Amino acid sequence: MARLSSRLLALIPLAVGINLALGKFASATSLPLFLDTVGTVLVAALVGPAAAVVTGLVSQTAFTIVDGKLMWMAFLPVQLGIALYAGLAARYRMFASPLRAVASGLGLGVIAATLSWPISLLLFGGVTASGVTLVTTALTAVGVPLRWAVYGASLSSDLLDKAVTFLLVYVVLEALPRRMAVRFPAADRSRGRA
Amino acid sequence: MTLGYRPGDGLLHRTHPFTTASLAGAVSVLVFVLPGVLAPWGLVAGLCVLAAVSGLLPVLGTAAAFSAPFWGFLILIHGVFRDDLGTAVVLAGRISAMLTVFLLLLASVHPGRLVDAMLERGAPFGLAYLFGATLQAVPQLQRRAAAILDAQRCRGLRVRGSLVRRARAVIPLAVPLVLGALAEVDERALALEIRGAGSGARRTPLDPPRDGAVGRLVRWFLLAAVTGAVLWRLLS
Repeated sequence: MARLSSRLLALIPLAVGINLALGKFASATSLPLFLDTVGTVLVAALVGPAAAVVTGLVSQTAFTIVDGKLMWMAFLPVQLGIALYAGLAARYRMFASPLRAVASGLGLGVIAATLSWPISLLLFGGVTASGVTLVTTALTAVGVPLRWAVYGASLSSDLLDKAVTFLLVYVVLEALPRRMAVRFPAADRSRGRA
Repeated sequence: MTLGYRPGDGLLHRTHPFTTASLAGAVSVLVFVLPGVLAPWGLVAGLCVLAAVSGLLPVLGTAAAFSAPFWGFLILIHGVFRDDLGTAVVLAGRISAMLTVFLLLLASVHPGRLVDAMLERGAPFGLAYLFGATLQAVPQLQRRAAAILDAQRCRGLRVRGSLVRRARAVIPLAVPLVLGALAEVDERALALEIRGAGSGARRTPLDPPRDGAVGRLVRWFLLAAVTGAVLWRLLS
């Protein structure tokens, strides 16, 4: 493992904490969102894709430990895909306007659903005992084949969640004071100011 | 329900953290590799015996409570709608085995002991720090999020009611939470520099977990069992 800078070592646990705190809020208020990748996308926008990948790895491990469910580790490729995509989106200045942020969030929704549905279907028979499974159950009940029911359920939740996540990161980047933004190498570029 | 570390001195508590982690890894692979209904449920039965001899019986209640929603959805989707109860039973066994072994791992291995074991084996300080600091940061930020929500409620924010009203509460929570966390980065980075995080020197844990011949033998056995099962499935 390449040595991480002290600043990155300090940032990653906080980003993971943001992922889990917002994820818990979304779950507690029964919002049809996960909000559990805000910290990962934020690190991608502030530092870059490599740091976001480490954040995604640590985040999925922490989420698995805190939730007590080992099967969540199977969804690690989804977190890593999100981190890489968000890093690329930041590099191409997709946080420069709310429209660009939402559009790239929708793109991520498709990618996240495409990555997660085979894992959910092949390893767990489409059952993850979350709100997504309720949609899968409803679609299966009306005769939709299981594979499409799982994909449809994943897509419907991921499109909304990732669009909101990107929009939220855009709002945070806009609210970021100048003296704080200069401390992060990719912040200005992500915001389209460099 | 019991989630997380439970102090004790049973068999699993005395076991080296790497051995318990290896058991969790082996069970997670074996439930998918071994065919039929008996294999996953046999592993669940074995884990129940291990929990009993380790004084961790309450963990089984948590495992059952965590497994129940999965069983319900599996029976509904596969048993009722797709008329394939066999698949539901196999998948329920796999999920129950994975949940049980991981909850036993969490209950018997203190995160600090795992970090010490990693450092003793030469893991980089950064990796060990990320593991420990993240587990500390999660409850800390959850408490901070709750405090921010309370403060925003005092200013008139409503987090209950319609979907739109609940969704509107996200930004007044997320922005202060994230900006507060980012403001903390410098302070933490400075503390890490003072502790020599950037030096790359190998750390020596004060009291690393003891690793005996039996523990090493068990780990080799688990590795052989997983390798054998995978090869058998590939060749048969």
